[in-house]
Amino acid sequence: MELNNQAELSPYPVESSRQKENMSKKLLVLLKKLLTSKTGVVGLLIVLTVCLMALLAPIIAPYDPNKIDTANMLKPPFWLINGDLSHILGTDNLGRDILSRLIYGSRISIIVGILSVVVGGLIGVIFGLIAGYYGGIVDSLIMRLVDSFLAIPTTLFCIVFLTVLNPGLFTLIFVIGVTNWVMYASLVRSETLSIKEREYVKAAKTIGVSNFNIIFRHILPNVFSSIIVISTLSIAGTIITESSLSFLGLGIQPPAISWGIMLSEGREHLATSWWLSTFPGVAISITVLGIIFLGEWLRDVLDPRSRGTKS
Amino acid sequence: MWKYLFMRLLQIPPVLFIVTIMIFVLVYIAGDPVATMLPADASPEEIAQFRHALGFDQPFYVQFGNYILDLIRGDFGESYQYGTSALGLVLERLPATLELATASMVIAILIAIPLGIISAVKPNTVIDFFATSFSVLGKAIPNFWLGIMLILVFSVTLKVLPVSGTGSYAHIVLPAITLGTAMSAEITRLVRSSMLEILHQDYIRTARSKGLKYSAVVIKHAFKNSLVPVITITFLQAAALVGGSLITEMIFAWPGLGQLIIQAVYAKDLPIIQAAVFVTASMIIFINILTDIMYRVLDPRIKFI
Amino acid sequence: MRGKFSTLSIYALVSILLLAGCTTTSKGATTEVTKEEDKTLIISLGPDLMTWDIHNHTTTTTEAIHVNVFDYLLMRDKVGEIQPHLAKEWNKIDDTTVEFKLNEGIKFHNGEDLTAEDVKFTLERVAKDDTLRSHGDYDTIKEVKVLDDLKFQIITTEPDPMLLSRISRQASGILPKDYIEENGWDHFENSPVGSGPLKFVEWKRDNQVVLEANPDYFGKKVTNVDQVIFRAIPEDSTRVAELLSGNIDIVANVPPSDWERVKSSDNSQIVNGPSNRNYMIFLRTQEGWPTSDVKVREAMDYAIDDQAIVDSLLNGGGTPSLSRVNPGDIGAQEELYGKYNYDVTKAKQLLAEAGYEDGLTIELSGPTGRYIQDREVMQLIAGMLEEAGIKTEMNLMKWEPFVELREQQKFKDGYLIALGSSFFDAGQSLNYYGTDRASSINGYSNPEVDQLLSDAETLMDESARIEMYQRVQDIANDEKPILPLFQIDQYFGVSKSIEYETRMDELIYIPDIINK
Repeated sequence: MELNNQAELSPYPVESSRQKENMSKKLLVLLKKLLTSKTGVVGLLIVLTVCLMALLAPIIAPYDPNKIDTANMLKPPFWLINGDLSHILGTDNLGRDILSRLIYGSRISIIVGILSVVVGGLIGVIFGLIAGYYGGIVDSLIMRLVDSFLAIPTTLFCIVFLTVLNPGLFTLIFVIGVTNWVMYASLVRSETLSIKEREYVKAAKTIGVSNFNIIFRHILPNVFSSIIVISTLSIAGTIITESSLSFLGLGIQPPAISWGIMLSEGREHLATSWWLSTFPGVAISITVLGIIFLGEWLRDVLDPRSRGTKS
Repeated sequence: MWKYLFMRLLQIPPVLFIVTIMIFVLVYIAGDPVATMLPADASPEEIAQFRHALGFDQPFYVQFGNYILDLIRGDFGESYQYGTSALGLVLERLPATLELATASMVIAILIAIPLGIISAVKPNTVIDFFATSFSVLGKAIPNFWLGIMLILVFSVTLKVLPVSGTGSYAHIVLPAITLGTAMSAEITRLVRSSMLEILHQDYIRTARSKGLKYSAVVIKHAFKNSLVPVITITFLQAAALVGGSLITEMIFAWPGLGQLIIQAVYAKDLPIIQAAVFVTASMIIFINILTDIMYRVLDPRIKFI
Repeated sequence: MRGKFSTLSIYALVSILLLAGCTTTSKGATTEVTKEEDKTLIISLGPDLMTWDIHNHTTTTTEAIHVNVFDYLLMRDKVGEIQPHLAKEWNKIDDTTVEFKLNEGIKFHNGEDLTAEDVKFTLERVAKDDTLRSHGDYDTIKEVKVLDDLKFQIITTEPDPMLLSRISRQASGILPKDYIEENGWDHFENSPVGSGPLKFVEWKRDNQVVLEANPDYFGKKVTNVDQVIFRAIPEDSTRVAELLSGNIDIVANVPPSDWERVKSSDNSQIVNGPSNRNYMIFLRTQEGWPTSDVKVREAMDYAIDDQAIVDSLLNGGGTPSLSRVNPGDIGAQEELYGKYNYDVTKAKQLLAEAGYEDGLTIELSGPTGRYIQDREVMQLIAGMLEEAGIKTEMNLMKWEPFVELREQQKFKDGYLIALGSSFFDAGQSLNYYGTDRASSINGYSNPEVDQLLSDAETLMDESARIEMYQRVQDIANDEKPILPLFQIDQYFGVSKSIEYETRMDELIYIPDIINK
């Protein structure tokens, strides 16, 4: 086995003994297991809350998040002197309501988080399946491409890409997505390598099932749970990346609101009006924490490699 | 073994070649740096004249051909911004970045190993949760926010550490903490899971049943054997740091590659971008191969068969 | 359950610790700085020095360091008046020739004499080599004719009323000919030699530039410090933190949000002064854009409350003006300075007259992270325009892509920018109103303006020239192809042990800085 990257360097041998199960039964078992894991429940609750917040933003936000109010600039949260309940978490340097911006900001943070993982996942899974299934020269070519991407630091890659393309929501999703396709590609490739050697795949081949069908009917379903596990974890990383790019001025631009942009715009005021960037910072941290908890739990449940770690 | 090593080394040139082409094409699409090199009020005639003088009005294949020819001769060209050798500029900053990466690695290990061991020894207890959450938090806080906070607390308020720059060992503490905490998350999780795995294995049980002290078992057997994956991931993360510390370097005015690269990308200073990517990519590939070999040589399973 | 709560409580604890950190900072700065003993002055302008090749950069922060190592023939004082410097006298021979006489006994740092040959070498290099970035500002110089060691003539291709401005600014520091020809440019860039009040010691890139006092300087010597260090610190908050903790004596560009914090600390102060930089909005006048109607442009002018922007975002650090030429520049129309139009009702009425009773939508582009509070200024302007019924879509981007957008004319209705004027001459800043230049920007064209501008360009009679430029500003104020908003101030955070005054040209001239 070649060891090209982190995913493959996992200290445990790839061993997949999963069988196809009845989907709904599986889900029920999952839910039951979830309730026994404390971190899993906390993670799920956090993630659900954030998603609800994003969905219901227009209903629950007390103000228009972009409403500028020069008479009420830099108002502190209600529990501090000069603060009051009209702006619970205070206002920013243009007098905009922080709570409303936080609520609306969850939308872009979530969209970027999920969609860029979908983009990266799609590209990675397709390339991984092709490389693993066909092997040979195709595999070599794809793996050299993977190596090349791995050799360029992610931040650097994002910056170069974002200066080329016009900044915007979809550019950002695309760029962040492209930077993590290699992770999926190598994971899916190594799993495909082992699955294609199994008896039922070989049998399917001999009776003349098309390659396309084998890949999508027999191999893909078997790598799916691993994909889900690393996806959850990389959503968390994506949200952090988005805020880092905002810091560099390459992320989403106003009037769009994201937690990253709030955090980086407010950093100038950290020493004097801490609430500007502390609340989005806390929001990011809690969300990422929730996603990681959820992901760890999913890993414990779905990934046979780490079953031994549950006690 | 040697054949394997040879095969791996053989893969390096094509990878570096692909990287080089990818960067050239990206930067070419981004447009030339001429407009940003002149003052904000330069006239279109001045810009066009300057573009011609620097040869940026030549067709793609000419520029690309010249570029590749220079590269084969080992010449990365001169920086558009600074007018001096691009590779020289990159190599000049490399030591500072490596220094920071090493210090962050040390801090990450100092945080991760105790936390990982404690949470593996007492899984699913309050201590475990404390340890896990702490390490996760390191990853959940954006670098720049943590960096600014550390400066406010330790330099401005408490006045115990310098704010920015270089000069003494104290200068490296805050930036290394900023990067190290983020690195420690993954390592803590890995120490925890690999320790758990090993603690459940038969030989550990045997060792314990022989009456060895638990702490001795943990340190001598379990920890020692979980070291290989931990070292591997630490090195891989450190490799990623070579290009991933840009933001932290900016916050702490650390004179490493970070500021050079960011400025170069904004200014479309292709020679510097290429030289920097080439150097960091080579290092990442080198570290990958090194850890790969180390992994094959040191795998604990081989020892116990 | 215990586990869950501990996670949350740790989280809360860490947050509280961090919050505690930020709320107490303003009280923290108490230790006394003792910089006097080692007599080192430390300054941070933000970015690092670009290069020691004075002809091949266009950054003010780099020039601010160069000005201490190289001398200009003439030099502006703090308020922007041209004064003798290397050259002690000059007189006009004819419309294209000016004769200069250098001060006697001026020496470069390596001991060689500074002569007319050095002047010829320096000015002709930048005037002739079109790969140099400053070439465009010097290509009117045809020749420098050396008469003797101290006397020389500058001959221009055509009458150039801006010649004296040209040679008292960026890229006109005189270089040592022999030193460079003997050792080559690479050597010069690694160990530059000039004639200025400070000598080069070392430069660690992206870290610091170290200079030392030149005891043999021909002019005002630096006596109160031995060494001057310019540190590169790109992040604003880090620079302010260095100032507050007493490690740096002067920092540039203190963000408005930190002014109170700097002022209330025991060891530092804020020093401000006007700069020659103005915020302005370029608007398209070509057919097909709503802004081609002068009423729409006027409505926008009336919708924007310039003073409110200055007050709320810049803490008052700026002056509204209806012209981009500021007092102190040759040709400024001072009647337009300090004034602005603001009347939302009138703006709405003008829109209605233009046929936009129901409002309209425009798109403005603008850079972020380039000028003080640029993204906030843009957002506030968009809010103000919206009040008057002009829905404004913002297209904010980093400086470099913005420059490209401008160059390739890909912007929509207009863009926000803050341009400076290093010539201190309306001839440079009004260039934008000429058909030639405007054709590649907003398409403005007015034959009368063109005539005035081209006449003034080669007119050596200064008072007539000033009148022409003032007339151009009056016409521009009526037709508003560009909306000048306000002049911005520059802000420095300075240790209380130092007496410091800003310069209109944003340079840091060390001999003028006094240690109390």
